[in-house]
Amino acid sequence: MYQYDAIDQQLVEERVAQFRDQTRRYLNKELSEQEFLPLRLQNGLYVQRYAPMLRIAIPYGMLSSTQLRKLADISCRYDRSYGHFSTRQNLQLNWPKLEDVPDILAELAEVQMHAVQTSGNCIRNTTTDQYAGVIADEIVDPRPYCELIRQWSTFHPEFAFLPRKFKIAVNATESADRAATQVHDIGLHIKKNDAGEIGFKVIVGGGLGRTPMVGVTISEFIPRADLLTYLDAIIRVYNQHGRRDNKYKARIKILVKALGIEEFRSRVDAEWAHLKGKESTVPMSEFDRLTGFFSEPSYDTLENQPSILTSKLADSAGFARWYERNTFEHKKSGYRVVTLTLKKPGQAPGDATSEQMHKAADLSDTFSFGELRVSHEQNLVLSDVRQDKLVELWEASKEAGFATPTLGLLTDMICCPGGDFCALANAKSIPIAAQIQETFNDLDYLYDLGNIDLNISGCMNACGHHHVGNIGILGVDKKGEEFYQVSIGGASGHDASIGKILGPSFAQEEVSRIIQKLMNVYVENRSEEERFIDTYRRVGITPFKEAAYAKAN
Amino acid sequence: MPKLIKNGKIIDNTYVWQQDAEQEVTSNSIVPAQKWLSEKDTIGSVVGIWLEAGDGVEFLQDIDINQFDVIGVNFPAFTDGRGFSYARLLRERLHYQGEIRALGHFIPDQLGYLLRVGFNGFQFNEEVNLESALALHKPFSIAYQGDVADPRPIFLRR
Repeated sequence: MYQYDAIDQQLVEERVAQFRDQTRRYLNKELSEQEFLPLRLQNGLYVQRYAPMLRIAIPYGMLSSTQLRKLADISCRYDRSYGHFSTRQNLQLNWPKLEDVPDILAELAEVQMHAVQTSGNCIRNTTTDQYAGVIADEIVDPRPYCELIRQWSTFHPEFAFLPRKFKIAVNATESADRAATQVHDIGLHIKKNDAGEIGFKVIVGGGLGRTPMVGVTISEFIPRADLLTYLDAIIRVYNQHGRRDNKYKARIKILVKALGIEEFRSRVDAEWAHLKGKESTVPMSEFDRLTGFFSEPSYDTLENQPSILTSKLADSAGFARWYERNTFEHKKSGYRVVTLTLKKPGQAPGDATSEQMHKAADLSDTFSFGELRVSHEQNLVLSDVRQDKLVELWEASKEAGFATPTLGLLTDMICCPGGDFCALANAKSIPIAAQIQETFNDLDYLYDLGNIDLNISGCMNACGHHHVGNIGILGVDKKGEEFYQVSIGGASGHDASIGKILGPSFAQEEVSRIIQKLMNVYVENRSEEERFIDTYRRVGITPFKEAAYAKAN
Repeated sequence: MPKLIKNGKIIDNTYVWQQDAEQEVTSNSIVPAQKWLSEKDTIGSVVGIWLEAGDGVEFLQDIDINQFDVIGVNFPAFTDGRGFSYARLLRERLHYQGEIRALGHFIPDQLGYLLRVGFNGFQFNEEVNLESALALHKPFSIAYQGDVADPRPIFLRR
């Protein structure tokens, strides 16, 4: 993975010093609340319902075991011994003290980490596929490009005070889009053109929140050398023309929609004409330099399906289940990609205790070259596990609470921290996740239902991506009481779509019962092997609606 | 005499930022750019013009802007970042050589970024202590992107 040189290191250290001074001036009342707010946000520090929340950047989800141990250690010493992995591959601490944050940042800088631009109206952490670099059907490894974007976006002097936050995600495979790129402000799809040159299909104006939209294509192919000048052009147009009078209409999606993609594209092209070919054009030497950081680890020459694996698959239904759900095909024979799920019943989705973080770091050292990834679905990934070590890893994962074999199933939920922590939330989300986990605890049934994305957000801001869940649950406030609106038919992959609201919202205790009814409709209507989303797309919303709102006999 | 920070020094501010378009214009005035444009044949000599957020810079394309000693850029709120693009475009696209002066509700903690996009004059609101602001009058010693001071991104300088 990327390693800082003296330049990168100096920059994060100067940032720590700057934030230490800003915090000192705020505590001395030299900086007003209002002035400190965007400054602390640009360093990932929110003031939440009960305490500040610090969001630590995990660039495109890559972590070394050393970094994860540091996170474990920080969460133990400065917080309540756990952290929350977010859908944008970052880590959130829910209980740090504001005055401790400069020290936390200094400790992060020791392991080449920071909290730069994890919040605020600026360019946020770039995200990508958690399987980057280890799957067979990838066009190229997207991580060098993510690192290029990370550096370009970090302390970009022109774009630190945009109309609203700005999120970029990169995908590099035709077969899947695990980074939900179409619901980002900019989605980049790595492509090769007919001449074999690498470039990007650029999608703009996707996003969730109050007005969810799937992005539209602004360019079918931008050569990689031109990526940064093209991004500069898009964001320069947005910075000047995006709405600033209403924060709910300030994302780039609203501008793209208002102008229409043709007009927006022509403005971007006019801007780009001035920038294209200038200094920010990326030379081949830089691609080579960055690619060098993501070279293959020293894989052993191995056969697929070693006997220790196949015999356990035959003997142990539990292991076979875990293998089927929680591991993924690797580009190298004899290896497998393993997801350590953070979806243990009784634990909030995406949460990991300090102890679990230490354990995951140890597992990565033993089984996966000391590196991990954080996924958009709020799990951890060991990308390079020998197949003949899978049984051993499974045993160790079970012990640590990482082996819940439900990856991609109904209970592998995406869930925001909700009203238990977040000041913005209208309703709690974690108890809903717990209720669903309790109700749907029969693995055979979950397996029979197959792949279903269920996403929960505690408010319209949609951190839990409810709009793009096959089933989405949104917490709403009705005269001081927490209710839940259910939507259906969302998707976040290449077939991205925004879910439709089923109807009036439900009381908290009803949610699982309603989901059960939706599942019944699916099971009754599905043709063989048909996924929930495909059945929905075929039969439409009506039967689901009728079942959900049918009067009890 | 009111003060401002220019080129890293606290100096007397001898210009008058004409915020009210009806106010009398003198040769010391920094007048609204739109006003100057509509009255340019009669307005006489002024030290400069200033841009309101939303003005953009395109309308200055066919004007010799180097006749002005100063071009001001107003920040209606410090969170309104349009002025960052304006300054950069004035320098890089319109090749403006004179002073670009930040006006309005920007804050000292933005100085690092403001300098990098081409501002060199900072007329803070009265409550800002200029001595303290001067301590923040420097960007980080390293920048990943090119900027007005050095158009080369880090990959051309590593």
